[in-house]
Amino acid sequence: MKTECKVGVYVCNCGTNIAKMVDCDAVSEYAKTQPGVVVCKAYKYMCSNPGQEMIVKDVQELKLDRVVVAACSPRMHEPTFRSAIEKGGLNPYFFEMANIREQCSWVHESREQATDKAKALTCAAIRRVQHHEPFEKQSVPMNPATLVIGGGIAGLTAALELADAEQPVFLVEKDDHLGGNVARIDLTSPYLDSARDLLTERITHVTKHPKITVLLNSEVESISGYIGNFKAELKTAGGASRQIEMGSIIVCTGFQEFDASKAARFGYGKLPNVVTSYDLEKMLRTGRVQTRDGRAPKYVTIINCVGSRSEEFNRYCSRVCCMTALKYGNEIRSAVPNVRITNLYTDMNAFGKGCEDFYMRSAEKEAVFMMYDKHNPPTVSAAGRRDNFGLLVKVDEKLSGEEVEVPADLVVLMVGMQARDDSAKVARLVNISRDKDGWFIESHPKLDPVSTTTDGVFIAGACSSPKDIPETVAQARATTARIQAKICQGMIWVEPVYAEIDENACSGCRMCNELCPYSAIEYDPVKKRSHIISVMCKACGTCVAACPSGAIKARHFTDQQIFEQIEGVLEWASSHA
Amino acid sequence: MGFEPRIVGFLCNWCSYTGADLAGTSRIKYQPNVSVIRVMCSARIDPTFILKALSMGADGVIICGCHPGDCHYVEGNYKTMRRFPLLKKMLKDFGVEEDRVRLEWVSASEGQRFSEVINDMIDKVRALGPSKIRVSLDADKVER
Repeated sequence: MKTECKVGVYVCNCGTNIAKMVDCDAVSEYAKTQPGVVVCKAYKYMCSNPGQEMIVKDVQELKLDRVVVAACSPRMHEPTFRSAIEKGGLNPYFFEMANIREQCSWVHESREQATDKAKALTCAAIRRVQHHEPFEKQSVPMNPATLVIGGGIAGLTAALELADAEQPVFLVEKDDHLGGNVARIDLTSPYLDSARDLLTERITHVTKHPKITVLLNSEVESISGYIGNFKAELKTAGGASRQIEMGSIIVCTGFQEFDASKAARFGYGKLPNVVTSYDLEKMLRTGRVQTRDGRAPKYVTIINCVGSRSEEFNRYCSRVCCMTALKYGNEIRSAVPNVRITNLYTDMNAFGKGCEDFYMRSAEKEAVFMMYDKHNPPTVSAAGRRDNFGLLVKVDEKLSGEEVEVPADLVVLMVGMQARDDSAKVARLVNISRDKDGWFIESHPKLDPVSTTTDGVFIAGACSSPKDIPETVAQARATTARIQAKICQGMIWVEPVYAEIDENACSGCRMCNELCPYSAIEYDPVKKRSHIISVMCKACGTCVAACPSGAIKARHFTDQQIFEQIEGVLEWASSHA
Repeated sequence: MGFEPRIVGFLCNWCSYTGADLAGTSRIKYQPNVSVIRVMCSARIDPTFILKALSMGADGVIICGCHPGDCHYVEGNYKTMRRFPLLKKMLKDFGVEEDRVRLEWVSASEGQRFSEVINDMIDKVRALGPSKIRVSLDADKVER
């Protein structure tokens, strides 16, 4: 062990988030006993300005050369503390975090055991940090071009925003037209503006913009590279391939609707005149709301939450359907004046701007609202031969507790949003993750909702969860702000963390050449040695674990550093058994 | 106090470590016997790490990575998947019980699953009792 290290250890209370379950003072007292530790402090919020200044001051005054912070997950605040010690004049890589919040205080129930675990994790970090090496950040040029995948409202908005700032954009759309799902709808809620008007203006600008290359009937086949320097292989209309280069990627692939035929109780696909919300949009766009045999419906029943908030299908709320159902009430009534509309709902979610007013206005009109329990949805069947209506909807009305039969000539199923069937393929293509429902995962759900775990790849709109148009547009614009910030810097800083081969130890067996998923390892036939092209290496460490000569070093994840952690967690435990 | 297992967990940064953090933000409770070491990819886990942990007296080692097909580094977890049976075979020859070393897939959204996997691992290792290496290490310490 490098005995010359002077380590400072800081234990965060995180208000009571950590302190409630972990005795932070005890962790700090314990850390003081560790070799190399010269100062140890527990403080209420290490990430706050006073907390960070405490570290900066200690680094300067006590000449610390290593810093450990035991606090939240490094995925949360590692960058914060790295820049703090850099401010104090220390290399940012002379830092290690012990995760005693997400993986300790928040998940354990015994204060004694949680405190013991926090000590073990802190001990591991103290041992590891003494083997850290300094690295200088590397800069690479930033290509100002952006690839936008998906030409819906999100893609159109993002493309225009960047192009208006004079940045080149490639807009790739799978379909033969722009507009995405918004192009399928008639009016928007709650203000009943025409969706077509929203789109036409955007599409005209996008197609005429000198900075935007629109590629219809096109798909992205493969993507390589890294932030600032991506390359993509496209299959364009007619099957031709095309290569493009860009610095950023925005994924705006949107959603697809729930397949209503999966929920047999509603009779979609079996009973005539049971339609989905998108089928109805088609009717509304042509201005003719009618049954299959061309008659105007006397009774229309709208069923909310089809495929949403369901144990059987999608458990989440699709957010836009409630207001859309109210919109249908208004639109159907304008198309068919004397129609009787019944709206079967589970809860009326009117959360957005203008939505509650819209609900009140709609409720005052002659629609009947009936509530059903989401675990007990209504059933649609064909009406009797003598009935003067085609369909019968049976519902256990929740508020009255009565079983009600509602007549209908037309049943509209409010189908929810779900992740697209090709979302796994897209995730793979741009190297981002999906959640259990198939939605793309954001870097942080609250603080970083449009970036992903892959630098330079952003997500906007309903590809990450159900969203309405205003939210989608806001997200699309947010991605462009993030990208322009990088473009303004002219270059980007990449983590100097990659693998490197010690040519003296390499036997030239070439085993690593085959293993590298990024083809970052080259073999020099003259020297008979392999070497790693650092900018192409993404530091997974696959080759490091495989090298039979132990010739490959994973920067910042060396064997020695990991051994120290193993010893740290175990030695602590065995000395206190 | 009865036997409390000491288990080392190696988690990949992108899926499993994030999933473990999600268990935390969701306040899902699980037993505290696994101490986690973060690596970028499960394929970084050199078999010597596991041997090192066992030789230091760990009662068990658990490796968690992204589900097959979901690796942040394209296919690192497939390499882990292929290496792992070889290691298990060797450990068996050394007399290390089957349940002490385990490979599991936990995605970034599976906080609940992470807690279940960890609890199950701890319960199984607790049922096995302390590892033979730990017993002999502890005996050495007493002698000294």
